[in-house]
Amino acid sequence: MFDLFHNLGLGFGVVFQISWWSPWWLYGLSLPISINILMCLIGALVGTLVGVLPGIGTVATVAMLLPITFGLPPVGALIMLAGIYYGAQYGGSTTSILVNIPGEATSVVTAIDGHAMAKQGRAGPALAIAAIGSFFAGCVATVLIAVLGAPLTKLALAFGPAEYFSLMVLGLIFAVVLAKGSVLKAIAMIVFGLLLSMVGSDIETGASRMAFNIPELADGLGFATVAMGVFGFAEIIRNLDAGAEMNRDLVQQKITGLMPTRKDLIDSTPAILRGTVLGSILGILPGGGAVIASFAAYTLEKKIAKNPSRFGRGAIEGVAAPESANNAAAQTSFIPLLTLGIPPNAVMALMVGAMTIHGIVPGPQVMQKQPELVWGMIASMWIGNLMLIIINLPLVGIWVRLLRVPYRLMFPSIVIFCAIGIYSVNNAPVDVILAGVFGLVGYWLIKHDFEPAPLLLGMVLGPLMEENLRRALLISRGDWTVFLTRPLSAVLLAIAAFLLVLTVLPFLRAKRDEVFTESEN
Amino acid sequence: MADTMGHSATTTRNKSVVIAFCLLAVAPQIFELIWSIGTIFGWGAGRGPATVLISHATALLAGAPGALLRAVGGDTKQASSDVLLALIYSYPLFAVAILTVFMTIRSAQDYVGGIVLMALALFALWASSDLQGMRGFSFGAGTAPRMFGGLLVALGAGIALTGLLTDGPAMAHYSWRGPLFVMVSIVFFALAIRPLGVVVTAFVSFLIAAIGTHETRWIEAVIVGACLTLGCALLFPYVLGLPMPMFPRFLVQ
Repeated sequence: MFDLFHNLGLGFGVVFQISWWSPWWLYGLSLPISINILMCLIGALVGTLVGVLPGIGTVATVAMLLPITFGLPPVGALIMLAGIYYGAQYGGSTTSILVNIPGEATSVVTAIDGHAMAKQGRAGPALAIAAIGSFFAGCVATVLIAVLGAPLTKLALAFGPAEYFSLMVLGLIFAVVLAKGSVLKAIAMIVFGLLLSMVGSDIETGASRMAFNIPELADGLGFATVAMGVFGFAEIIRNLDAGAEMNRDLVQQKITGLMPTRKDLIDSTPAILRGTVLGSILGILPGGGAVIASFAAYTLEKKIAKNPSRFGRGAIEGVAAPESANNAAAQTSFIPLLTLGIPPNAVMALMVGAMTIHGIVPGPQVMQKQPELVWGMIASMWIGNLMLIIINLPLVGIWVRLLRVPYRLMFPSIVIFCAIGIYSVNNAPVDVILAGVFGLVGYWLIKHDFEPAPLLLGMVLGPLMEENLRRALLISRGDWTVFLTRPLSAVLLAIAAFLLVLTVLPFLRAKRDEVFTESEN
Repeated sequence: MADTMGHSATTTRNKSVVIAFCLLAVAPQIFELIWSIGTIFGWGAGRGPATVLISHATALLAGAPGALLRAVGGDTKQASSDVLLALIYSYPLFAVAILTVFMTIRSAQDYVGGIVLMALALFALWASSDLQGMRGFSFGAGTAPRMFGGLLVALGAGIALTGLLTDGPAMAHYSWRGPLFVMVSIVFFALAIRPLGVVVTAFVSFLIAAIGTHETRWIEAVIVGACLTLGCALLFPYVLGLPMPMFPRFLVQ
């Protein structure tokens, strides 16, 4: 318990670190500023700004803004990225409430009741409850990360290659179970991602694999490049299909009265609590945590409500529960990344990319070797959530104005911004073309109803999985039963197999489809 | 009457799918041929178009069947890369295309999706065929790609099979205007950023991307493009300190 406070204290110390700023125009005067708080603020603001733009989800936002963190010190960069992440998520819920275009998958269910509320002229309370719910969930999740961080790290140190491999298999199976649509297609996407991750030099022998003697491919496909293509460019091309003037159901009346009424607060409190608990649990599980968390929270609220018919017509619980759940899940999904070094979803995978650029290898060692980095980031999450609630509510007016910018002007700007962003990662023009090609691949995938998220997860886990598989087999001298004879590994694989069987069973399939079709009616 | 009409409609749709698969089966060869045209003008490295055409044609028509016969005969001489491409990638896809003629496709979305994934996996299998396999009990560089390639072939086949056995959506509608101009804009950006600098490249790419929809109003687009260019030119090189050429090289010198 003492450790916990010590660690959090350390984290807040890092975040509040004061440095003296003496610009020339103050003639020798110095101002005390906290760089890390500034980073958090900028990240949250920029993240919301981009997240508000319809058709750009969290992954694309983080991928797009990745280059702006390159010049910063590692702690500042990670704090800023975390800020961008929540900002994007919050921005997504703003669009879904005001325009009925969910900025991303996590706020699809928020749109149902949130937009209904907005149409009744209660957009203000809906936005406020979304922010308050997110903030509360964020607080709980921050404490949870701090509590679970240290013990899980100890557990992780007992992991050998075989256990790591099995854990990643479990993570990928989770991704399959939690993905929308066909199980077979989700598995195929993961394997496709694994194959893509193998392009480039082999880790052990250095042999060039599937690179066709193209020097730019020798280092492998950049993760940010593929993410930007599949989530950024593909999304833009897809939106153009529908014609640039998308059916925008923007709430035109002025938003008045942000404050929710007493009744709103009383109604939404239990929903926020349930959403937080559900989201925290689902977030820790690897594989698309935040999306399923918001769907599950909405379904749960509807199931236990006294009068389920209110849902879909502006029930405040329908905003409070999914918003708290997705924020809780978004934060607890840092737990597997920070303790085990395994990214549980695509955004966390981008975080790994960012960490690698700054020379940090995520995993149990980071917690011990660079505690100020990890705890600083955890503390900044809480600050970031606080900032979102303080900054964003007054800024809602600006976000609404941004939504009025027509798509015909928005999309070329996004294309250019993405292109410059990708170019600046490695200063490589080939990366831009590759991202474009993956944009077409992503467009094709959307047309054939394949989900790109498992593909990205497979691509990120690919090198880790292969390395651990090879190492495990080398240690066991080629004995494949090692995955079953080591108890921890066997348990993990058994859970994975059990889950896969459950998903294929017809009864549970129907349940799973029901959760996902919730948004369509 | 209605029955025959429905039947003929399926056949025509099947025919276009079959032709598409046949094209897919020789796509890498065609791609190399187009690529090799550049060597005439001295761009890029690689074989000339005539060599490419002859070696692929012989591989497809003679080399591969020969290698197949030899393999049956127990002779395991290493075949050339072109022959392997024909054997591993093109032949299975031709086989699929021929099988497609006799099938009734109940969900084109799944069937085509599955087959294309299978093609990708076969291509990956060919691309990793020159890598070393298992050495004793330790993995070679090529083991994992082959493992996952094989798995993806099976999964692709499985998805295609669901497209044959269960009813589902037909092929989605593709539009060409958006994807084409966004791609042209991206490629132009990649080619021009080094020689022409951010200012020119960003502005021209913006306008090219704007052609992607017929709703573009040009005066508006030029103004917004200019503002965006100015913003990017200030933001990336100055505020964020990312090294990037600003103006065309020939103007700076």
